[in-house]
Amino acid sequence: MKALLLRFEPIIWVLFGAGIMVGTLLLPGYLLTVTLGAPLGLLPDGALSFERAHMIFSNPLGRLVLLAIIALPLWKGAHHTRALAVDTLGHHSDALIGSLLYAIAAIGSLLGIVAVLAI
Amino acid sequence: MTRPSDPQAMTPSKPGRTRTAPPQLPDDFWTRPRMRTYLLFDATGIVYLLVGLIALRVAWALADGAPAWDALLQSFASPGYVLFHILALISAIFVGVRFFRLFPKAQPAQIGPVKPPPPAVLHALLYAAWGGITLVLLAVFGGIWP
Repeated sequence: MKALLLRFEPIIWVLFGAGIMVGTLLLPGYLLTVTLGAPLGLLPDGALSFERAHMIFSNPLGRLVLLAIIALPLWKGAHHTRALAVDTLGHHSDALIGSLLYAIAAIGSLLGIVAVLAI
Repeated sequence: MTRPSDPQAMTPSKPGRTRTAPPQLPDDFWTRPRMRTYLLFDATGIVYLLVGLIALRVAWALADGAPAWDALLQSFASPGYVLFHILALISAIFVGVRFFRLFPKAQPAQIGPVKPPPPAVLHALLYAAWGGITLVLLAVFGGIWP
């Protein structure tokens, strides 16, 4: 398992790097509007009504942005959670925890592709 | 008469196990500011992981139609979700500030014939990009533009 993780490390690092950079660039705008502004009624009426949200996220750029918001934080999250586990629990369970976290990120990313294509 | 030096002269006949001690978390890590910040930076991974999974729910709700979308926004108004998303916002800002501070230091001195801009300029460009992207998303998702 550890050998497999080492083999995929270059890919994992690219996705982790993209997650920390692109994910962080996108998250404040997304969190302030979609997850906080709209539910709490802080946005103008209809700003994120279903019709408008569907219009935004069903065009190619909107789908790409939503996929980036889904997949990239998953990889950043998986890699940093693995690092946290190594720092606090030690190396003995790293292969198991790392594999589990990257599996969540990989499956989540694939489901994200399916979901944004289904919009 | 002297012999030429042999760089392998002190090599043991059998390669031994490394004597480097495995890294261990000190018991008083909580009192060490650098270690605390480093672990907090790692801990934002848990928040990001959950943000990604919740964003997956956003995409599925949009794919499922208006009732699912309205139900999702209603659930996001619950105190648990609001507190989590405030924590996620703080985490994203913390990661951005720390990562953008480290980013210029991690650049190579030269990339082919091109030299990266000075660290202060690179730092400013990252913040400009962050602010610009955030403003565009606020305008688009906030119903101001287009």
